[in-house]
Amino acid sequence: MSSNQQPISLLLCALGGEGGGILTDWLVETARHAGYAAQATSIPGVAQRTGATTYYLEVFPVPVSELDGRRPVFGLNPLPGRLDALVSSELLEAGRQITNGLASNTHTLVISSSARALTTGEKMVMGDGRRDAAELLALVNTHSRARHVLDMAALTKQAGTVVSAVMLGAIAGSGLLPFARRDYEAVMGDSSASAKASLRGFALAFDAVQAQRAQTAYVEQVLADEPEPTPTRARLPDALQHEFPPEVHELMALGHARVCEYQNAAYGDRYADRLRGVLAAEKQGDPQNLHGFRTTVEMARWIALWMAFDDIVLVADLKSRASRQARVRTEVKAGSDDLLRVYDHFKPGAPEFAAMLPVSLARRVLAWDRQRVAAGKSPWALPLKIGTHSVLGMLALRGLAATKRLRPLGSRFHTEQALIDRWLDAVVQLTALHAPLGHEVALCGRLIKGYGSTNERGKDNLLHIMDHLALPALAEPASGPQRCAAVASARQAALSDEAGVALDQALRQHGAPARPVKEQPIRWQHNPRLKVRAGT
Amino acid sequence: MEVSFTQEIESLRLGNGQTFHGEGILAITKALLQSGVSYVGGYQGAPVSHLLDVMVQAKPYMDELGVHVEACSNEASAAAMLGASIHYPLRGAVTWKSIVGTNVAADALSNLASPGVTGGVLVVVGEDYGEGASVIQERTHAFALKSSMVLLDPRPDLACMVHMVEQGFRLSEASNMPAMMELRIRACHVRGSFTTKDNVKPALSRHQLIDEPASFDYNRLAHPPVTFRHEKLKGDERIPAARHYIVEHGLNEHFDGQHQDLGLIVQGGLYNTLIRALQQFGLADAFGDTAIPMLVLNVTCPLVPQQLTDFCVGKRAVLMLEEGQPEYIEQELATLLRRSDIQTPLHGKDMLPNAGEYTAEVMANGLAKFIGRYLQDPATQATADAARAWLQGNQTRRAEAAQQLQAPLPARPPGMCIGCPERPVFSALKLAQEDTGPVHIAGDIGCHALATFEPFSFGHSILGYGMSLASRAGVSPVMKRRVLSVMGDGGFWHNGLLTGVQSALFNGDDAVLLIFKNGYTSATGTQDIISTPDDDAKNSASDKQASLAHTNQTIETTLKGLGVQWMRTVNTYEVDTMRATLTEAFSTPFQGLKVIVAEGECQLERQRRIKPWIASLLKKGERVVRVKYGVDEDVCNGDHACIRLSGCPTLTLKDNPDPLKVDPVATVIDGCVGCGLCGANAHAATLCPSFYRAEVIQNPRWFERLVHSLRGSVVRMLQPS
Repeated sequence: MSSNQQPISLLLCALGGEGGGILTDWLVETARHAGYAAQATSIPGVAQRTGATTYYLEVFPVPVSELDGRRPVFGLNPLPGRLDALVSSELLEAGRQITNGLASNTHTLVISSSARALTTGEKMVMGDGRRDAAELLALVNTHSRARHVLDMAALTKQAGTVVSAVMLGAIAGSGLLPFARRDYEAVMGDSSASAKASLRGFALAFDAVQAQRAQTAYVEQVLADEPEPTPTRARLPDALQHEFPPEVHELMALGHARVCEYQNAAYGDRYADRLRGVLAAEKQGDPQNLHGFRTTVEMARWIALWMAFDDIVLVADLKSRASRQARVRTEVKAGSDDLLRVYDHFKPGAPEFAAMLPVSLARRVLAWDRQRVAAGKSPWALPLKIGTHSVLGMLALRGLAATKRLRPLGSRFHTEQALIDRWLDAVVQLTALHAPLGHEVALCGRLIKGYGSTNERGKDNLLHIMDHLALPALAEPASGPQRCAAVASARQAALSDEAGVALDQALRQHGAPARPVKEQPIRWQHNPRLKVRAGT
Repeated sequence: MEVSFTQEIESLRLGNGQTFHGEGILAITKALLQSGVSYVGGYQGAPVSHLLDVMVQAKPYMDELGVHVEACSNEASAAAMLGASIHYPLRGAVTWKSIVGTNVAADALSNLASPGVTGGVLVVVGEDYGEGASVIQERTHAFALKSSMVLLDPRPDLACMVHMVEQGFRLSEASNMPAMMELRIRACHVRGSFTTKDNVKPALSRHQLIDEPASFDYNRLAHPPVTFRHEKLKGDERIPAARHYIVEHGLNEHFDGQHQDLGLIVQGGLYNTLIRALQQFGLADAFGDTAIPMLVLNVTCPLVPQQLTDFCVGKRAVLMLEEGQPEYIEQELATLLRRSDIQTPLHGKDMLPNAGEYTAEVMANGLAKFIGRYLQDPATQATADAARAWLQGNQTRRAEAAQQLQAPLPARPPGMCIGCPERPVFSALKLAQEDTGPVHIAGDIGCHALATFEPFSFGHSILGYGMSLASRAGVSPVMKRRVLSVMGDGGFWHNGLLTGVQSALFNGDDAVLLIFKNGYTSATGTQDIISTPDDDAKNSASDKQASLAHTNQTIETTLKGLGVQWMRTVNTYEVDTMRATLTEAFSTPFQGLKVIVAEGECQLERQRRIKPWIASLLKKGERVVRVKYGVDEDVCNGDHACIRLSGCPTLTLKDNPDPLKVDPVATVIDGCVGCGLCGANAHAATLCPSFYRAEVIQNPRWFERLVHSLRGSVVRMLQPS
C-alpha cells in the first residue's frame, strides 16, 4: 500500500436550528482555503426542528499539493471508536454519541458544551426530571482521549452569535486540524454585523480551549458538587435559635421568615410550635440522633411551604412588587429607552373566591358551581388579563394583596390548617414510633404545591399515601421498615404522571387500594347509527 | 421556501473546466442541465427537496435555457409528466423521496415503462433508508426490477454522480427504458466538488417548439394487446441493449487488487464506506487502491451476467455487499453462477446483516468474517488483528457506557418549531379529550406528525401522505366515539382531497377532519402550494407579524364546492375556541363530514418575513412592538403542567431560586416569538397564574412616552419594594 494515512474524522452533534450545516460548510471551506481535501455529509432529514442531528466531516491531513493529483476516498459515516473528534453543542448529545460507542479513550478528542438543552421528556416530569450533568461529564471523561468542556451557551450569548461559530472556535483552538487560525477566520467573512458576532464567538471559544489548564480546572469544578446557592440570610429569633439544634437553623430561619411575611408574627409562632412537636418526636424516635434531625429539617421546609400556601392574595402581592417589575425588565431584555407593558394572565374560579369567604358562604358558592358542572356547563371561572403596568391594574392587585389580614377568616385557611395538622400528627406519631417512616412521610410534603386542581391532586395523593401506606404502621409496628419503601416508591410515582396511573400501580403493588375514582359528569351522545340495529 | 439558493444558482451557470463546490443533490441538478434536459418536475421531500427548490428559484435562468420546471402536486403527477418522452426526443427528469414517492408514482411509472421512452428519462430518488430515515424501510430496487427500469446507484463522489446522470440519459435512450438514480441521504448531502461542463440548451424546448404532434402509434400506448408485445420487448431488446451500453461505456467499474483469488461486489453507493472499512484491515489505501479486486455496480439493474460471471470465475470466494432486503442482486448472482456451473463460493447476507444501513462498522464486521475465512496475509495480519480488536472493543465500550448510566438517556426527537401554529391545536385536543374522553386519532405525514412525540403522544396510525381521513373509514363505523383525522394542507393537496374528502362525502361518512392550514408544505422545507398566501397579500399586509394564511381561501372554496356542509375555521392560537370546536365536532348530532380548518401561518415563513421587516423599521428608527412571554419564578408552582400542554422549546426549566423549594421552575428562554400560546393555555387549562405577556416597545412615540411616565410614577407610588 502506498499510504496507510487515513483522514481525520469529526462528528459534529447539534440540535436542529443551531447552524450545524453552516458549521460544516465553514469547515469544508476552511480546508479548501488551507489547501486540504475534505468532505462532509449529514443526515438532517428527519432531525429538522429542534431534534438531535449529526454532521460528519473527514479531512485528509496531507495538503492537496503533495498528493500528486491523487484524490482521497472519504467515508460517509463515522467509524465508532476510531473517530478523531466528537464535537457537541449540548452535553446530553455528546453523551448520546458516547453511548452509541462513537468516542473512545484511545482515539477521540471530545469537545462538548457543558450547557444543557433539556429534552421534553425531562421537562414534563412533575418533580425534577433533569438528568444529572455530573453523570454525563463522567461519561465524557471515561470515553475520551482528551477533552474540552466549556459552556458554549454562555459564550454564544456573550458574543451575541449562534453556537456554530463557538463550535468552530473550539475546533480551531484544539489544534486537531492542520489549519491556521486565519484559515478559519477567512471563511467567516468580516464585514457584516453577523460575521463580526461570529468572529467574536469564534475567538471566545478559541481562547477558552487554548487555555488548557483553566479548562481542566473547569471540568473538575463542574464535576464537584455544585455549591448550594447562598440563600438570602434570614435570622431565626434568638429564642428559637437556642431551642432548636443547629442543623435545623438554616431552613427554619427561612421557613419562619416566610410564614411571618405571609401572614404575621403569630403565624410564625404557630409554625415554630408545629416544628416543636416534630423535634420532640424525633428525639424520641431517634434518641442517639443518628440522622442529624433530618425529619425536623425537612419539616421546617415543608410546613413553611404548606402554611404559606398559594392563593390569589399572595399572587397579587408577588406580582405587584417593584422588584418583580425590575426582574421582568431584565428577563425580556427591554432597553432603557424602551417602554414595557406587562399583562398577567389570571383565571380565578369559584374555588379561589370561595377560599376567601367564610365557611358557610364558601359552601354555597361551591355548591352553585357544582350544580353548573352537573348541568353540563364548564366550571365557572373568570379569565383575566391584567395590565400590571397600568394604574388600574396595579390598584386591583394591591387592593387584593391588602386583604391579607382577612385571610384567616377565609374557608381555605381553615381547611389547610386542618390538613396540615393531620399530616403533622401522622409525622409526629410515626417518627416517635419508627423514625425512618416518619421521615418518608415528611418528605411527602413535596407533593403539596400549586394552585387549583394541581393542589387538590397533591393533597389527595398525600392523604391517600399517608392513610393507606404509612399510618397502619401504628397498629402493626413491625411493618415499619417495609412501609418506608412503600411510601418512598408511592411518592416517586405520584410525581411521575398527572393521571396517577403510576401511583395507583405503586399503591396496589404495596397492598393499598388505588385512589377512588373522581366523579365527573358524563355526557350522553345520541348515535343515529345505532338506530338501524334498534329497528330490526 | 426555507432555504435561499442565491449562491447555488450561480453555481448552476458554471461552464467548461470550472469547479463546482457544493452539495451532492445540487451537483445532480447541474448535471441535468449539462445533459440538455428539456423538462424537470417532482415533489419535495428529504433528501431531494433542494433539487427542485433550486430550480424553482432559478426560474429566470431556466427560462433562458428553455428548460420547463414544474412543481408537481404529487409524485404521481411528476411521473405522469415523463409521458412527454414516450413519443418525443425530449430528455426529462423528475425527483422525489423514495420509497414513499415511488409508491405514489407507481401507476404512471408502470405505464411509462411498458411502452418505453424515446427521449432519455431519469427519475432521481432520494433513498431514505437507514439511520435518520423518516419513512418505512423498503428498497426502490424492487420497483426497478418489476417494471424493467434501469437503476443507477453511483459512487458517492460528485464527479461520478454527475457522470452517471449524463450516462443515465444515454442509457435510457439506448435501451428505451426509463432510468432511476437512487441517492442515499448521505450522498445527497455530501459536500464535495467536480469539474463542470457547459450547460446544453435542449434541442426541443420552450424556445424550440415541436411543430406537429407525433402520428398515432398504438404501440406507444400502455394498452392491450400491445402491452404483451412490450413485455417481450423488455426481455428481448431493451434489457440486452442496456447491458450492451453498460459494458461498452464501462459504467460498472472493475478495480483490480493483489489478492486475485478473492473478490468484492458492491453497490456503487456503498463504495466509499467499503474502502474505509477495508482501510481498517490494511486492505486499501487512502486513495481507494484496494488489495482485493472489486466490482463496483454503478448500475444495479439490469445486471450484466457476463460481467459478473467473468469477475467470479476462478476465485476462491466472492463477497456481495448489498444493502437492504431482500437481497435481489445476490439472488440473481447466485442463479447466474449456478446456471453457468461456476463453483465460486458466494457470500453476502450470510456474513452481513439482512436489514439496516451498511455503515462502516457493519461492513467491517462482515469483512472480518470474510477475511478471517479466506485471507491469511502476513503483511497485513497485524493490522487485521487490530481491526478485530477494535470491533470487539466497540461492543465492550457500548456496554460499559450503558452500565455507567443510571438509566438510558432521554430521546430527543424532532419537535414543532418555536411558535408553531400547530402546537396550540394539540393543546386544545388534549383539553377537549378531558371533556369527551379519548378519541381515536388517524395521523398523517407532515409537521403535525411530530405530535406523536412527547408531550402529546397523539396518533394511532399513519398510512401515508394525505391518507388520514381515508384511513379512518374502517375505524369510525365500529367506534363508539367519533374518530379524528388530522391532515396538513400539504397532505390535503397531495392526496387527501381525493382519497379522503371525496370518499367520505360520497359514502356519507360520519367523520371529523382537522386540516392544518399553515400555507406551505412545511415539513419538506416550506415549499409553496396552491393555498399559499400570494405575494400580493404578503406585500400589502400592513402588519407583517400577523398570520396571512386566511388570505388564500382555496381550501375552503374547494370543500364547499365538493359539498361539505359542516365547516369551521378557527385561529389555531385560540386554544379555548379550538377546544370548544373540537368538542362540538365530537358531539354534534350532525352526521356527515365535519371539517375544522385550523388556520395559522407556518411560523418559519412568518419569521422569514418578519425579521427583515423589523430590522428595516428599527434601522429607520420607527416604532416596533416585540412580544415575549415569561414566568414569574416565585409564583410558578414547579408542577410543569404548562410544559405538558405545550412542549415549546423555549418553555423550559431552571433551578428554583427559592431555597425552600426543591423542584425546578418553568422559564421562558430567549427565542420566544411571543406566539401567545402560553397565555392562551394559562386561560384554557386554568394553569397557575405565573405567566405574563411582556410587550417591549422600541422607539415609542412621544405621547406614548409621556403617558407611560405619568402612569409609571403613580404605579411606583402604589408598589411595595
